[in-house]
Amino acid sequence: MKLTKHRKNKILFYIGITFLAILFLIPTEWMIVSSFKSESTIFKDMNSLMAFVPHDLSFTAYSQLLDYYNVFNNIINSLFYASIMVILGLIVNSFAGYSLAMYNYPGKNVLFVFIIAMMIVPIEAIILPMYLVVHNLHLLNTIPGYILPFVANVMNIFLFRQTFITYPQELVEAGKIDGISSFRFFFQVVIPTSSSIYVTIGVLTFLASWNDFLWPVMALSEQKMMPIQVALNAIFSDREHIFTNHTMAALTIASIPVIIIYSIFQKYIVEGAVRSGIK
Amino acid sequence: MVSKNKKNDMIVGYLFILPAMILLFLFIIWPMGSAISYSFTDYFLLKPGQQEFIGLENYIRLFKDEQLITSFINTCEFVIKVVPLQLFIALSLALIINKHFKGNGFYRVAYFSPAILSLVVVSILWSSLLNPTSGLINEILENFNFAPQPFLTSVEQAMNSIVVISAYSSCGYQMLIFLAGLKNIDQSMYEAATIDGANKVRQFFHITIPGLRAIIIYQLITIVIQAFKLIVQPMVMTGGGPDYSTITILQFIYEEGFRHRYIGYASAVTIVFTIFLIVVSLLIKRILPNETD
Repeated sequence: MKLTKHRKNKILFYIGITFLAILFLIPTEWMIVSSFKSESTIFKDMNSLMAFVPHDLSFTAYSQLLDYYNVFNNIINSLFYASIMVILGLIVNSFAGYSLAMYNYPGKNVLFVFIIAMMIVPIEAIILPMYLVVHNLHLLNTIPGYILPFVANVMNIFLFRQTFITYPQELVEAGKIDGISSFRFFFQVVIPTSSSIYVTIGVLTFLASWNDFLWPVMALSEQKMMPIQVALNAIFSDREHIFTNHTMAALTIASIPVIIIYSIFQKYIVEGAVRSGIK
Repeated sequence: MVSKNKKNDMIVGYLFILPAMILLFLFIIWPMGSAISYSFTDYFLLKPGQQEFIGLENYIRLFKDEQLITSFINTCEFVIKVVPLQLFIALSLALIINKHFKGNGFYRVAYFSPAILSLVVVSILWSSLLNPTSGLINEILENFNFAPQPFLTSVEQAMNSIVVISAYSSCGYQMLIFLAGLKNIDQSMYEAATIDGANKVRQFFHITIPGLRAIIIYQLITIVIQAFKLIVQPMVMTGGGPDYSTITILQFIYEEGFRHRYIGYASAVTIVFTIFLIVVSLLIKRILPNETD
């Protein structure tokens, strides 16, 4: 009797969590399935469960998408911007974190307090003055104007500093005795032995850059320079004149890189979220 | 010899931090400084030579600007609704996933999956799903004999739709952070409580919640600040409408400063908004008891 009650609870539990899982998965599932259907199939299927069933699939929407809207170009832009952002961000922020953790110089504590204080400044809130500075520097619609403002990141400097502060001092001393220059030591010893924090911050930087919308809307107004998120909004937020299957194909393509990154780096992303969360 | 080494160390230390400091100065400090000085002028980007010092005029105007007040009220409404909803869903999902059961990993990925999509993708997807005439959700409602709903096109529903979509599509992150926190709670405390005869509800309020306190405070601050900075969802889904019912503060700054080029006034709003956000995050930290207390 007790056992059956236990089983009944278990079945109810699974029904509940499966219902929830469907609720969370179904919009994305519909997006992907619809991107492989013809426009008429999408609307014919809408009043039945067929809307979620993959059938009569084709790549037509994708090939038309590339012919009509050239979003492939915007995807390449985004990949390019995000990669530069990752490389520059990792170098600049880990340099700063390393300096704060390993060296002593006048003004260091002031700089550290300054960095902690800056963590509370809401960057998006000052996006307009940022735009004005880039405008005054005549860097609008240029790659440096788009990328440089977001390279230095106080949160990442702080995370690097926290990592390097526990760096084994013996290694540093050994490097000094061998007479290696500080910069060579950093690139040849410190980076390889701290790869986990580099991957974590690198992945988070990539995702933030890939998903960014407001800043590129302001800094890059030329169609050919737009990253994919801006192009999506410029072309596909019009719900009256654009085919639904084209839209869903565009949204799916724009999501493939992040899906790949999440499946490879899941562990690091969770760690990054928790690290910046608990500190 | 020693002092030479020390001096060398100092220079290397400065060199390592220099690039970051230059960039922070150029793109954070300088913008904030110039926003302060612009905020006392009538700077209009289309007439750059003609800016005049107008004192506190922008700041006085800002407290009487009806559209800005509407934006502020909308933003507050969003914050008040989305924060509890999002935290509640995230914590519930984390508690489910934290149980030991078969297929645990699949359900974690499923609940997290909407959080992978960018805000723009989520917003375009949902404006298609919620379309009043040809959207999937209204087709489903019709099948169950409900009238089609103007989710994003009516003053009454637009903000609520944005609240639900935002909470639903980003609670996955908070779920993961809560999960990490739950794993850190000492399991023997639950065993001891069970032996003492404390039921699950009591255990939840006396062990789980205190064990998660630091994480709850952190998440509260992040979500509140994030929510105050709402802009992408209304920009893509409603354009701030209908009838300004979903326009937010950040969007107001964007429209006024970037689209209409009234830099002086938009800078004043930026300054007040930035200070407001800093005060809010300090207040939350102050009000809520710290773990070390």
